[in-house]
Parts: sequence; C-alpha cells; structure tokens
Amino acid sequence: MSDHTSNGMQCNEFDLLLSDALDGILSGPGLDRFQAHARTCKTCGPLVEEAEAGRQWLKGLTEVEPPASLVPNILASTTGVDSQRLRAVSYVPQPRVSWWEHVQASFLEPLWAVVRQPRFAMSFGMAFFALSVGLTTLGVKPGDVWALIQKPSTIKRTYYNTEARVIRYVDNVRPVLELQAALRTIKRNVNPAEPGPSKQQKERKNDTTQQPEQKQERNYSQTGEKLILARAPLGPSVFDGSSLDPSNPDLPVVSVTTYRRFV
Amino acid sequence: MEDVQVVAMLVRRCIAGDAAAWEEIVQTYSRRIYNICYRFAGSGEDAQDLTQEVFIKMYRTLSSYDPSKGAFVTWVTTITRNLLVDHFRKTKQDRITDSMDSTASEHEDAQPLSEQIPDQSAPPDARVRQRELSETVHRALSNLSPELREAVILRDLQDMDYKEIATVLRVPEGTVKSRINRGRAELARLLQRTYRQVM
Repeated sequence: MSDHTSNGMQCNEFDLLLSDALDGILSGPGLDRFQAHARTCKTCGPLVEEAEAGRQWLKGLTEVEPPASLVPNILASTTGVDSQRLRAVSYVPQPRVSWWEHVQASFLEPLWAVVRQPRFAMSFGMAFFALSVGLTTLGVKPGDVWALIQKPSTIKRTYYNTEARVIRYVDNVRPVLELQAALRTIKRNVNPAEPGPSKQQKERKNDTTQQPEQKQERNYSQTGEKLILARAPLGPSVFDGSSLDPSNPDLPVVSVTTYRRFV
Repeated sequence: MEDVQVVAMLVRRCIAGDAAAWEEIVQTYSRRIYNICYRFAGSGEDAQDLTQEVFIKMYRTLSSYDPSKGAFVTWVTTITRNLLVDHFRKTKQDRITDSMDSTASEHEDAQPLSEQIPDQSAPPDARVRQRELSETVHRALSNLSPELREAVILRDLQDMDYKEIATVLRVPEGTVKSRINRGRAELARLLQRTYRQVM
C-alpha cells in the first residue's frame, strides 16, 4: 500500500479502515473520508470492490464434514482408549448375509462360472444325455425321480415295497425248488448214476498247454526217494591200487558218481 | 463461543485424568480444527492427519493452558496454526507459485483450473453447481500466499475477531486487517480472471 494522500486520508489509513467499512462498523465523518478517498484514489478505489467480492466468495464456502473416523482416531492416538460408544457411532452396519447367499457366493457362483465354459458345457451336456438315455432304458421315469426328490418319505415306502416283493418271490419259488429237489432224489435212487467221464479227463481233453498234469517239482536235493548210484564201467578205480601197475595198459580212470533221481 | 468457566473446568478435569472430559474437548473442537486444516492444506487426508497432530500436541501440553491469558479456542487455534506453518515448511508449498491456469494436480495432463470450471451458460443441477463453485473457491484459496490465506480463513471462515487473529498470528491488529483485505482482493482477482476466461 502506497503512502499516497487523497482527500486528507493516506492509503495506509484507508487500508486499516477498509475492514471496518466492509464489516459495517465504520460510520460518521470517518466513513465520509473513506468513501471520498475511494472515489479519488486509483489504487484504493478498486480495492473496495475486490475485497468485498472476495468476502462474498468466501461466504459461499460451507463448512466441510470431517470423516466419522476422525474422533475415534484422535482418542485412540491420544489416550489409547478404544471407545466402544464412538466405534458404534462410526460403525457402518454391513448388510446381513444369509447362509444361502454365502454358499451361493463362495461355491455355486464359481462352479457355475466353470460350467459355463464351452468345453465343460459340452461335456456336461453329453453326460446329461447319457444319463437320461440310461434312465430311460432302465425304465426310470423323471416323474418318479421328481416325486422322490419332492417327498423323501416315498424313498422309505419304495424300500419296503421292494423288500416285500422280493420276499413274496422267494416264497412262491420255494415249493417249486423243493419239488425239483425231491424228484432228483427219487431219480437218483431208481437209476444209479453212471460214472461219467472224470473231471480230470474232461479237463485234460480241453487242455492245450501240453504241460504235465501234476506240476513237477524241480528239486535237486540229495534227499530224494529214488536215488540210484551210477558208476562208469570203464576200468578200475584210482582208489583200488591197480592203476599203479605199469603193465596195465588202461589209464587210470576217474570214476564219477552222480546221484540222479529218476522220475 | 465458549463459556470460559466451563472450558476451564473441562480442562482441569482433563488434566486430572478424566477421559470423558478429554473426549468432550475432542468432540467440541475437532470439527473446527479439521476445517481450518482442510482449508489451509487443501486436501482431506492432510487435514485429517494434521487434526490428529493438533490434538496429540494439545493433549501433551494441556497443562500449559492459562485461562487468564486468553480463550481456549484461541489457544487451540494457535496450536493449529503453528502446526500448519510447520506442515507448510515441510511440504515446501511456498515454492509453488503456480497461477490459476497452472495445473491443480501434479499430473502434466491434468486440466488447468480455468478449464475445470463448469460452463455457466448451461448450468446443471443447482446443488452440483454450488459444489463445483465451492471447489473452485477452495482451489483459489489454496493459491493465496500462506500469510494471506491464514488470515482470511480465520476471519471469514472461522469468524474470529481481529484481536484473536492477531494473538494467533502474533502480528499487530493492523497487519491482520491489511492481510485480510489483500487476501480477499487477491482471491477475487483470481476468481474473476478464471471466470473471465470461461465466459
């Protein structure tokens, strides 16, 4: 602010009075002098309008809302007190998730995302087709399955019905089987059974492996039952002393004794 | 704004270790301090951090408060102002001398402030317009020098009288008035320039 004087008022004085003038507390001769200076001074004149405009702009600024976590954070950082009441105020309740939504979000949706892939979709389609064909072949109607799913009590009833059906079938068949057994006994008593071909021969006939019937045990131990002492008949033994006679043209013969089991 | 006796009692209880008294002080003054910090620092995150720092400092130095020397709100505002000055020095905002047409953010491709102002010829919803206007004034306020900014914030946004502001800023009352006048005028010039470009 310059020290320029206009209408008996310096610019410094004008600057000091400007706030009071804008606040509306300047009155009387002071206000007259102030207004006269504003009209004549090229520096201070525009300042009144600008300051008033700036004040109006700032009036439009509203107070901002601090975050809800501010007070709990301050208390925690100063006293270390974790105020439950403040936490309850700043706590934003989360929407309650039911167990079905939880299962749906954690299991079903990822599974469905996999199933929707074209490669898996084709596989599942083929599996469904095969299952439906198989069930149709077996005579299972989808309506029955649906009834079972809808009413679990029908599973129990179906079980008992099936059990009763099996028992009735066995009861009906039992006299026939007993009669057949009695007839077979009578027939055996009247005509003794002819010896048929032995089972072994029958099996042997069909045997094409050319293997011996009884498996030969390859045992080379000396404890066999049919041991035969074999001796080579070539000359005297080296142990009987004749081999020492020089007139004997025969060379000493080494006799080898082997034990062999003949089967 | 405050009953001196009530506040003095509250402070005494707080010094004695009454947690409820401290909580009451925090509840009473946190909004005011947050707003001062927000208007001065410019961002909500900085304001939140600075507000916490103010209360930490206040909690540590509460016993130094003397009711005979001034109002509690003046003492609190002084602490806030001192921390804001420290923050300003740390962040080196005084080196930034960007004008209203310079980019408001650090990104090169961000729009200048004059381009961010909505077209006045086709105003959208009144509430949206008011919010955008407040944002524009807030950004313009951030472009004032810190001395002028703190003066107009305390006077026009916190409704403090000149004497209290002089105490907080530790300058004569005449200097306070001069800073307020210059701050208001500078803000008006910045905004007029911006709107003139839009229009």
